[in-house]
Amino acid sequence: MNCNKATVLMSAAIDGELTEKEAEELSGHLADCPECRSEFQEAKNTKIIIRERIVRVKAPRNLVESIVRLTNVTG
Amino acid sequence: MKENKKELSAREQIKQQEFQKEAVPHINALYNYALHLTMNPDDAEDLVQETYLKAYKFFDSFERGTNCKAWLFKILKNNYINKFRKNAREPGKVDYDLIKDFYHTIKDVQSDTTEAESDFFHSLLHEEVYQALQSLPEEFREVIQLCDMEGFTYEEIANMVESPIGTVRSRLYRGRKLLRAKLEEYARKHGYNTDTEE
Repeated sequence: MNCNKATVLMSAAIDGELTEKEAEELSGHLADCPECRSEFQEAKNTKIIIRERIVRVKAPRNLVESIVRLTNVTG
Repeated sequence: MKENKKELSAREQIKQQEFQKEAVPHINALYNYALHLTMNPDDAEDLVQETYLKAYKFFDSFERGTNCKAWLFKILKNNYINKFRKNAREPGKVDYDLIKDFYHTIKDVQSDTTEAESDFFHSLLHEEVYQALQSLPEEFREVIQLCDMEGFTYEEIANMVESPIGTVRSRLYRGRKLLRAKLEEYARKHGYNTDTEE
């Protein structure tokens, strides 16, 4: 496997979405290629930063209450 | 109480209990997704409210054992398309002031406790990450949000965006490449490569 192919596979690899064969090929390449190993780490970090740096808010209380009421029609 | 009303109520109660257990816990995730789509808290509330109304009405058609959150997201997305799409901003046209204002209205509610351990990322501000994400063409932004923020599988995302899994996979690859370039741009502005302080 060359570095280009490895780079393409990294995206799905960090999501755990490679086939078994692809995963084997990629890890074989990563074992031999320090540049791709560092690239892979950066790719993982990009996923982490999206998950952690984008602020998540709580739904407003009135919205939650109205939805709970909706499912309490006989209650 | 009449007998038939009692029966109906018993059946309805089972449905309610199940709905509350399966669907209601996803309110926050749906509200966040709606906010990102509409960029407007009132519209987001309406969208979530309508999504739950529809979901409750059609709860019998929810396939038990599958991901209820994914089912709700798909309903919300369809609602959004029907209701707001014609007024939505065009891909590529990003109103940064709008994003900034929007971000400031929501950011004080909750903040992170964990961070990626990298100087590169430490140099980035929350709103810059958000801006970078919002600047991506919609087809890329959407799959990144669904995958990285909401944790859906490729199969679930493919079903939501009505595209093959291979398309989802390639959009994620291309979208992340664009996103990395944007984030690096911001990091350079902060003097990445020099010592950045958090």
